[in-house]
Amino acid sequence: MTRVWDVPTRLVHWLMVLLVVFSWWTAETGRMEWHRWSGYSMLGLVIFRIYWGLAGSSTARFSQFVRGPRAIARYLQGNWPAAAGHNPLGALSVVALLVLLATQVLLGLFAVDVDGIESGPLSTYVSFEAGRAAAQWHEASFDVLTVLILLHIAAVMYYVFFRKQALVSAIVRGQRTYPEPQPVPMRSASVVRLLLGITLAVALAWWAARAFQL
Amino acid sequence: MPRLLFRTLGSAAVVSLFAVAYAATPKEAQHARHEHYEELGKAFKAIRDQSSATSPDFAALQKNAEVVNEASVDQQQWFPAGTGPEAGKTRALPAIWTKSADFEAAQKMFSERAPKLLAAVKSKDVDAVKAAFKDTGGACKNCHDTFRAPEE
Repeated sequence: MTRVWDVPTRLVHWLMVLLVVFSWWTAETGRMEWHRWSGYSMLGLVIFRIYWGLAGSSTARFSQFVRGPRAIARYLQGNWPAAAGHNPLGALSVVALLVLLATQVLLGLFAVDVDGIESGPLSTYVSFEAGRAAAQWHEASFDVLTVLILLHIAAVMYYVFFRKQALVSAIVRGQRTYPEPQPVPMRSASVVRLLLGITLAVALAWWAARAFQL
Repeated sequence: MPRLLFRTLGSAAVVSLFAVAYAATPKEAQHARHEHYEELGKAFKAIRDQSSATSPDFAALQKNAEVVNEASVDQQQWFPAGTGPEAGKTRALPAIWTKSADFEAAQKMFSERAPKLLAAVKSKDVDAVKAAFKDTGGACKNCHDTFRAPEE
């Protein structure tokens, strides 16, 4: 077994799954107080994940997996060494999902409902019309997010069933087996960095939830 | 003489405006209703914004609470018969006219709670404003749940 994903990366992944479902459900059923809390939590997760992409464990870092079209082409031709972490194609999925989640949360912060009663905390800085536009984009961007999530799940299923790579078990347990030669395993980041990231994410999300007022 | 002429013309203009308002087609009535509710939405947003601000602008709060209060009475005139889905695109449900007693009760809930919001604003007690805002918003939701079609 080779270590692939550290605990923070796995935890963030599954919390994001839960929060996307919870956010959808609270929006559909009009539980807007919970929906806002869900959004603030998601904001914290997105901030943490971006931080972890810059300062986290080796396989979580953008510099380790974000590649250009040439690398993707080589990967698709089977001309890419097996390594612990995202492959060049899967990296696109990670970046796209993270960008969409960030967009979704940002739009939600500015959104206003049609009655001017429910709103995101930052809507206080924009007009009613702008808040309505944010709400409509918030809805449209959720549709895009849904398509990306389905694509992500379909791609993972393809790897699990047709390429026999235990990706789901890896994002649950953090490790998986590779054919020989064994790839370089994940290198962890220090606990200090983790605590710094959690503090940063919680503080920024809390501050945004308070409309940047102390 | 010219002054009298202008006055007469002015009065005639005012009278004809009223005439237009009363003779509005169902489509015009729907449009006017939509505009009214949009104004109401803006007023609600302004109250919400100010009541969560670090230093609330009570003059703005009062102006908007008055808009809400007036609308809570005026809205009883915004649903003339024949301005439902049969007249054009609207989220107003037919139940407004088929269950008019329930609809009037829902409208009354709003016109009973809106004055309390205005009173809270005048008392300059932010927590009271927040509570009254929630209460008034509850009256909106109560009516929307039954008499307004969900957003597409």
